[in-house]
Amino acid sequence: MDKHLVLSILVAAIGAGTPFVFAALGELVTEKSGVLNLGVEGMMLVGAVTGFIAMTKSGSLLLAVVCGMASGVAMAAVFGLLTLTLMANQVASGLALTIFGVGLSAFLGLDYKSFSLPGVNELPLPLLSELPVVGKLFFSHDILIYASFILFAGVSWFLYRTKAGLILRGIGEAPKSAHALGYNVIKIRYMAVLFGGAMAGLGGAYLSVAYTPVWVEGMVAGRGWVSLALVVFATWRPARVMFGAYLFGAITIAQFHIQGLGIEIPSQLLSMLPYLATIIVLVVISRDAKTIRLNSPASLGITYHPEA
Amino acid sequence: MNFSKKQIVASLVSLACFAAFSMTAVAADKLKVGFVYVSPIGDAGWTYQHNQGRLEMEKNLGDKVETKFIESVPEGQEAERVIRDLAKSGYDLIFTTSFGYMNPTLKVAKMFPGKYFEHSTGYKTARNVGTYMCRFYEGRYMAGIVAGKMTKSNTLGYIAAFPIPEVIRGINAYTLGAKSVNPDIKVKVIWVNSWFDPGKEREAAEALITQGADVITHHTDSTAPVLTAEEKGVYAIAYHSDMSKYGPKAQLVAVTHNYGDLYTKIAKAVLDKTWKSEKIWNGVKEGSIKLAGMNPVVPKDVVALVEKTRQGIADGSIHPFQGPVKDQSGKVVVEAGKSLSDKELLGMNYYVEGVQGDIPK
Amino acid sequence: MKSVIRLLIPLCAVLLALLIGAGMLLSLGADPLSGYLTMFSAAFGSVEGFSETAVKSIPLLLVGVGICIAFRANVINIGGEGQMVMGALLATSVALTFPDVPSSLLIPMVLLAGAVGGAFWGAIAGALKAWFNVSEILSTIMLNIVAVQFMNFLLRGVMIDPAEVARGTGIPQTMRLSPHADLPILIEGMRMHLGVVVALLVAVGAYFLLWRTSMGFRLRAVGFNPDASRYAGISVPKNVTAALAFSGAMAGIAGAILVFGSESHRMVTDGSSTGFTGSAGFNGIVVALLAGLHPLWSIPSALLFGGMLVGANALQRAAQVPSALIIALNGLIVVFVVSSEFFKKRLLASGRVDAEAREENTLQKEKADA
Repeated sequence: MDKHLVLSILVAAIGAGTPFVFAALGELVTEKSGVLNLGVEGMMLVGAVTGFIAMTKSGSLLLAVVCGMASGVAMAAVFGLLTLTLMANQVASGLALTIFGVGLSAFLGLDYKSFSLPGVNELPLPLLSELPVVGKLFFSHDILIYASFILFAGVSWFLYRTKAGLILRGIGEAPKSAHALGYNVIKIRYMAVLFGGAMAGLGGAYLSVAYTPVWVEGMVAGRGWVSLALVVFATWRPARVMFGAYLFGAITIAQFHIQGLGIEIPSQLLSMLPYLATIIVLVVISRDAKTIRLNSPASLGITYHPEA
Repeated sequence: MNFSKKQIVASLVSLACFAAFSMTAVAADKLKVGFVYVSPIGDAGWTYQHNQGRLEMEKNLGDKVETKFIESVPEGQEAERVIRDLAKSGYDLIFTTSFGYMNPTLKVAKMFPGKYFEHSTGYKTARNVGTYMCRFYEGRYMAGIVAGKMTKSNTLGYIAAFPIPEVIRGINAYTLGAKSVNPDIKVKVIWVNSWFDPGKEREAAEALITQGADVITHHTDSTAPVLTAEEKGVYAIAYHSDMSKYGPKAQLVAVTHNYGDLYTKIAKAVLDKTWKSEKIWNGVKEGSIKLAGMNPVVPKDVVALVEKTRQGIADGSIHPFQGPVKDQSGKVVVEAGKSLSDKELLGMNYYVEGVQGDIPK
Repeated sequence: MKSVIRLLIPLCAVLLALLIGAGMLLSLGADPLSGYLTMFSAAFGSVEGFSETAVKSIPLLLVGVGICIAFRANVINIGGEGQMVMGALLATSVALTFPDVPSSLLIPMVLLAGAVGGAFWGAIAGALKAWFNVSEILSTIMLNIVAVQFMNFLLRGVMIDPAEVARGTGIPQTMRLSPHADLPILIEGMRMHLGVVVALLVAVGAYFLLWRTSMGFRLRAVGFNPDASRYAGISVPKNVTAALAFSGAMAGIAGAILVFGSESHRMVTDGSSTGFTGSAGFNGIVVALLAGLHPLWSIPSALLFGGMLVGANALQRAAQVPSALIIALNGLIVVFVVSSEFFKKRLLASGRVDAEAREENTLQKEKADA
């Protein structure tokens, strides 16, 4: 494989990985607060369909993005209501959200099934895009991809450089102590859940408005589950989420390039890789209590009862 | 979906009245025709074309027919139930428009010997089951001529769904068409193992463009390849439907299949009680395969050449698989002066010279 | 009174969802009342309709019953999809290897193979949880997709129908499996087959397992209070693995029944990442939740969801209402059922402590008996 080919695989991998970046960074923040939301797939689907409808109706990318995010927030609010206010089981509620999202998105998109959009133009950044290699790799994309870079920087900064981030992580580790220190656990978890919803919605909208760009029932096609896997694969760290997202993206892309070159590798085995890798990471980090504590939020998935 | 309580009540009442009224108003001697679609209709693609055919038939036959369609019916168990439900509720002629409906169609047809069934793209018929499909390869051959004339890199990209004879036939006809005007043509094929997956189709198109293809075509169902070509500034040849609105600059031409006349003819035959079980394989001659949405950038002489080829195919003087045709290894598969029979066409499982790579096993 | 509440609240949840669904029907210009009537009569109004509903309910019931066992042991099994696929694969291989074995032997063999295949896939997640402390929620999600891709790989490779290769069509499916393994039809001219009986037997069996055997007692004890169980000498890792294996076995049987009770009597894939299960692996969880994690209550619960699927088709035909509406309605029911837990707890709050104490008492007593 020559250099040109490798570079273009990497460029395409960034495009393919971007929905994962949005959804997984959102889920990362949610999980850091101690809440496991398995409804990513459903939120992405609803984000995809509303973004698509908004884009079709208005032609405005901004409006499409806002609508995609808003619908993700609405879905996440349902999840928050179930798990945080009504204290329902997080796993069951997350699954419910996914099943509901599949149906709701199909219903909302009835009049838009298999319709297409013109897509979003690439916006090479002046000067930066002319840099060798890096310019093509990072600065010749559409505006939503730049937004994902900014999101990454923002999430990293928030979680590890701000007091609010520290509190959020504290709540994920030990909600009772955080409560004792006077923080409103439920309120902060709500915000983390809603942020996760917004990002999942944005990831879905990116898919339907910029990446494919069509609306098809079930078009998220398991990317929500991949995003959940990614958060674990990345052991709850933003930088590793980025790496993992592009790696997963590159695996999908490479599979077509390899075919074009006339080499045959069963694509099914390649598609399995991200999940097998995640299971291995799970085994490695879960082996003993110490590595678990270092990596995953201690109260992840456990319902918090404020009065208790 | 904003409505007030009042509106709900109002529409509830009016709907109830309407339902009661419409139930008594069904005419008795209309031919009820049912259609089973594998995907949503959308605004382009396989099912869209079949639905266009249904609408044309309705227009042609007016109040002699009443049609109904059921879309997004998965192949397998679900399909059998849907087909049987249609037959049971008074539909006398049922079109099933996907390969995977073959066995369910035959099974239901056996239970309802008095009804007529038409299955698209299958190879099994019965006393009351006919099949129909289109000679896509004829359109592919003509599109190949356009691609062969317009490419600068001499590399054409082909996004293919599954390695079955129908798809392979299209790849080969396209290659032969392109080579007839440009002997240096190479065709690169990427299999996406799906009939409809816009994400994969886009990724495959990008890969082909990176590897030097400057005309992209697809044997898949979405508009993604044309959109990607438009975005990347290369040409595309659309399939199923005219997709020029998604790639005004990119689309050179579209290979389309059209069912209006065929559906009208079949429904008429049932009405006249002259219906027979047939294996229909229509092409350019019958107007089932057409090129549409020719891009103005295609030079006049190329357009003229394509038109001449179309006439030749229609009157039988040109056959896309006219010998000599060599396969990839250089072995002659169709001798000079001969062309392939329908049976040979239907079982095609090799690439002709000019296609790169191997057919996946 | 309490049992009335236990029954009434999920029912209210379903009704509330149907009410919202009525609004959605209206927005599509269909009459909700006649729409629901169409659905109901299609699913339950005739013997034939009921036969269809029963067939649709089989995988939901089997997965649901498996979920009851797992959740009772406090193990969250989201791997029903993958376990169904693995069960179907192993059962299919058995039918391909022993096509000439007579029906009376081959049918039990393929069902057993289905159970083993599913149990194996479940036990992987169980073992990872028990000995490596890997969250089974996450591992079962991953294993779902691994299983589907594994199936796609096999159906394109070693398991493909030789006729497909010879004809050059290459459709990823096995050959028509031995007719000896066809699940016998129960009523002439309809589709209800032996799978319905198997599913019912499994549901009853699961009930006995949970409440009439020491194995079931240990599973519930581990789920109820792992620390106390450990103290009492019950091996938590072994029972967690067992719970996932049991749960997987039932999903695996469901997968096998889907293959041998289908019209085509073969395994086929569309190459996608979703598989052939119709999401029964996920929907089964909802069936179990609606049934209050009780294997016997899972029977009406599965029939409800199965009937909705059958009714949806009729509704689409009668009113040209898209099937998406029914998926949305299905999702709504799920959301309401999950949220109804809260109200159930609230209403039962006064008795909650009692109930827990009673549960503990029974456990103590059963332990003494065992």
